[in-house]
Amino acid sequence: MPKSKKLTVNRRGFLKGAATAAAGAAAIASQVPGSGAQAQSPAQGRTNTPAPPPTAAQIERDAGAVRPPAGGHPRAAVRPGSDLMVQVLRDLGIEYVAANPGSSFEGLQESIINYGNPPNVMPEFITALHEESSVTMAHGYGKATGKPMCALLHGTIGIQHAAMSIYQAFYDRTPVLLIAGRDLGFIAAHSANDMAGMVRSYTKWDATPKTLEESLIAIQRAYNEAITPPCGPTLVVIDIELQKEEAGSLQVPAYQPPRIPAIDSAQAREIARSLLGAQNPRIAVGRLRTPEGVRLAVQLAELVGASTSTTATQGPMSFPQRHPLCGPGASTSYDFTLGLEQPGTVALIGPSLTTLLSRDVTNIGFGGIAPGVSRAGRGGAAPGRTIDIDAEASLPVIIEEVRRQMSPDKQRVIQERSAKHAEANQMARIEALTRALEQRRAGWDSSPISTARIYAELWPLIVDEDWILASPSNFSGAHNAQLWDHNKPYSYLGGQGAGGMGYGAPASVGAALAAKSRKQIVINVQTDGDLNYAPGVLWTAQHHRLPMLTVMHNNRAWHQELMFVEYMCGVRGRGTDRGHIGTTLRDPFIDYRMLAAAYGMAGEGPITDPARLGPALKRGIASVKKGLPYLIDVITQPR
Amino acid sequence: MSTNRIALAVAAAAWLAAAHTLAAQGAAPAARKPVTTLTSPVTGNAAAGKKLYYDYACYSCHGFNGETGARPFVPNWPANLANERSFIAFLRGRANVAPVQPSTAMPNYPEESLSDAQARDIYAYIRTFKSTPPPLEKIPVMNQILAAAKRPYKP
Repeated sequence: MPKSKKLTVNRRGFLKGAATAAAGAAAIASQVPGSGAQAQSPAQGRTNTPAPPPTAAQIERDAGAVRPPAGGHPRAAVRPGSDLMVQVLRDLGIEYVAANPGSSFEGLQESIINYGNPPNVMPEFITALHEESSVTMAHGYGKATGKPMCALLHGTIGIQHAAMSIYQAFYDRTPVLLIAGRDLGFIAAHSANDMAGMVRSYTKWDATPKTLEESLIAIQRAYNEAITPPCGPTLVVIDIELQKEEAGSLQVPAYQPPRIPAIDSAQAREIARSLLGAQNPRIAVGRLRTPEGVRLAVQLAELVGASTSTTATQGPMSFPQRHPLCGPGASTSYDFTLGLEQPGTVALIGPSLTTLLSRDVTNIGFGGIAPGVSRAGRGGAAPGRTIDIDAEASLPVIIEEVRRQMSPDKQRVIQERSAKHAEANQMARIEALTRALEQRRAGWDSSPISTARIYAELWPLIVDEDWILASPSNFSGAHNAQLWDHNKPYSYLGGQGAGGMGYGAPASVGAALAAKSRKQIVINVQTDGDLNYAPGVLWTAQHHRLPMLTVMHNNRAWHQELMFVEYMCGVRGRGTDRGHIGTTLRDPFIDYRMLAAAYGMAGEGPITDPARLGPALKRGIASVKKGLPYLIDVITQPR
Repeated sequence: MSTNRIALAVAAAAWLAAAHTLAAQGAAPAARKPVTTLTSPVTGNAAAGKKLYYDYACYSCHGFNGETGARPFVPNWPANLANERSFIAFLRGRANVAPVQPSTAMPNYPEESLSDAQARDIYAYIRTFKSTPPPLEKIPVMNQILAAAKRPYKP
């Protein structure tokens, strides 16, 4: 027993040292010759031996006996390599880098917070409390803007913490730039020869550069790969020594943006001819890459007077839901349909330009499937009608062709058709909205509060604001789809990507990072089970003063799972009275206002009286418009 | 034999799609026409039924007052809630409806998992549910939503 206890203490001390690595890793690392460490690590990997015991220096450090070096030491580097890495990020327009600290990227972290004038701007260091949160923040930011945010990961352990979020961003085709630090000379368990291998199945591209110059090029390449369709997360593993080395006269390489292939001119001519020749053309718009793609889709629809469909109520970067041309139009007898990033499940009378199907479906090596591809196979598009090309890159070519083929007669017809579509779509909208409102009166005054009432009360408060609904709404009734207008590329950021929980709050924080610099506000209708995966992200929102209103959809359960388990109890005829075990959050109930308060965030609740909901939401919106996050705990009906 | 027949009839008449599938897709509950007149004596204890409604997590699909959730039944009461007998037959009959891969999401309740007395109590509680929402024109935010939708589109 005493022996066992002693071992435990030693192990704990060792792990504690690892967890506090950022504080003094430079001193330790400088004592370990880089070449020796490089030679040691692969051998350990091959023989699968456990990590070595802590060194005397590490034990000293665990005991707090290591201090930063006193004066008189020359600077390690006048122009550290990591300064150049930050310059690359700045040139790429990376606004934020999220991380919880790790000794393997301390050089890069120091450069982010100190390099440049002003320092810690473009990129700004965002303090996260978990790697999963860091990556999901970048995921949310990427969906809101169409461009990557960066997350820093600490060695093998940081990558593994982040793995689910990386997987989810990959499934969601969202560009994310990941940089993992590696320190072969410090704690062996935190390093590996091929760290990226742990997530290679669900990253789009990775590299482990050997030199500083290669590192700079690799970051640029990772950015380009992330934003080239089909978009996704990319990873660069950078050794601590490369971050610390003297760059000397090395220059940051010139950045070359990716060339994304567009449709060829013959196909564009044919599409333009079909759009202009049709009596009732239609454009089916799915998820484009960036807001620019959305702008171009609107431009094309207006040019040819086509009614359009949109996926704006399911996710970002699609056609504005209330644009006069969006809807069924004056007639649903379409004689030509152009698909823009529409999955093959939509029957189209015409071609569909999409990169959705171009991802290698075997890339996720353990049986996953690619986004947009049904489990039954590669969608239901008519063979030969799908053109494997990026719609966004092709739109300018098509628009140019349409303009070239346009005539005054055609323009007159198009104007008349557009006016009819606008009138019909508006009528359809009002009818559908009236029906939706009638349905959502159900349980209006009931307690617990209906989820429909949350969305209904919110809408008049934000209708004239520039807002982002960053949380998935599928678990809370998806009432936004019928009650709200999704007119911006970022209005609704859609689902989790791969259905992974622990997404809503960090994705909303990422969206709020985008919103902060764009004078927008973020709405997070937060399911309770989801928040409890990594609630520390609330602290990040408060610490960075992010405009995020969190409204708890607090049904005190992982409610979906409660229904599943009940269902299984029913199938087996054993009664549902024990279905709550392992599926509900009772005994005790969780007080989310107090949770927020612990992280320094203002809030109120729990609210059970529906009459108190509206005034609380008003206070919440007022807070986020001032740039301060706010949380309202609402006890809700299950769905 | 007759139980099976009841079960099949119930299965054909009642909630056909899996609640979890609908809910995962974010589908709004479909509006139903009121087709059922609630009759019969109600013999159970509503207060006891309230606790059972919670303990058996009936609220998880039907909301705490039957009006919301994946499968609301107020005010458009389905035929299997017309009276105690039909309610109990509905609960029992489902035990034999494709037990491995059922076509509905409603659990079945053989008597050993929920007694007739308990079922009557739940039914008594359910029968206290009333549709309470105010008319549309009396809900200010809903009128604001309609008014906003009538404004011209602004990019």
